[in-house]
Amino acid sequence: MLLQNALVDALNNSEWAFPLAECIHIGGFAVGVGSIALVDFRLLNLGLRKETAARVLKYTEPWTIIALVFVVFSGGMLFISQAGIYLVNLVFPWKMYLVLAALIYNFTIHRKVATMENPSPLLSKSVALISLLLWVLIVFGGIFTGFLI
Amino acid sequence: MGIAHSIQSIGFLSDFSESVLAYPIVLSTHLTCIALFGGMILMTNLRLLGLTFKSITISDMVTSLRPWKRAGGVVMISMGLLLATCEAEKYAPNPYFWAKMIILGLIGVHALIFRPIVYNRTEELDRSPVIPTKAKVAAILSLVLWTAMFTMGRMIAYWEP
Repeated sequence: MLLQNALVDALNNSEWAFPLAECIHIGGFAVGVGSIALVDFRLLNLGLRKETAARVLKYTEPWTIIALVFVVFSGGMLFISQAGIYLVNLVFPWKMYLVLAALIYNFTIHRKVATMENPSPLLSKSVALISLLLWVLIVFGGIFTGFLI
Repeated sequence: MGIAHSIQSIGFLSDFSESVLAYPIVLSTHLTCIALFGGMILMTNLRLLGLTFKSITISDMVTSLRPWKRAGGVVMISMGLLLATCEAEKYAPNPYFWAKMIILGLIGVHALIFRPIVYNRTEELDRSPVIPTKAKVAAILSLVLWTAMFTMGRMIAYWEP
């Protein structure tokens, strides 16, 4: 609680803390979502065709995880600075459900299919499209949180 | 301010800024492009630095994703133009906006310099036993420019005259 208050004070009293947290949030999701999108583009046969999806996943996953840690942490800071406003927001709770769904999906079904030996094209393509759709919806959710108050 | 006012008064731009949904949809699309294709640019740079994707050739990394990055860039810039021109009077005096435009120009200069010697010669880079310095310089500059770019983009919202 004390730590939370200290963080909230820092975010609300300093001119640069909130925009800095926002920039970390944006930079982080560019790396996180961009690295997941590489796996999805591979699954969709849209790029990196000389590599298997499993290899693409192996290379991108550490970057995805590090980036998502930054995204969640900076997002948490943004949230606690104005928790009251976010909790009554029309869009924000939906964004959080989507984040939860996307994170679980990414490290279970998505990971499983990307590392399968010979998934059917229909399966790998649908898995990739659902992944892209979830992350894009989350970006939209983030922006709409600020607009539909 | 005369020009800025005329720009934002253009029919479809004023309709656009008055719409409740259009503005956030365009802004979200702008950010989606940053996430998908900005992220790809970033991962390509990490490959040029030899930090990841080591078994994937630089050629495959650069050329197979190029059409997507280009398409994403076109959407990103058109959405950005729409966002800036519909509020031209607010953007015109904003120093962060102009800083962002200068960085965009520098990204163009970066492409003019490094495309012929790095990005269009990926096979040569793959044949080289170590990744040449020019490729690493191109990657580091690209990372710095893109980070500055989205930071300035975010700061635009915080400036008050």
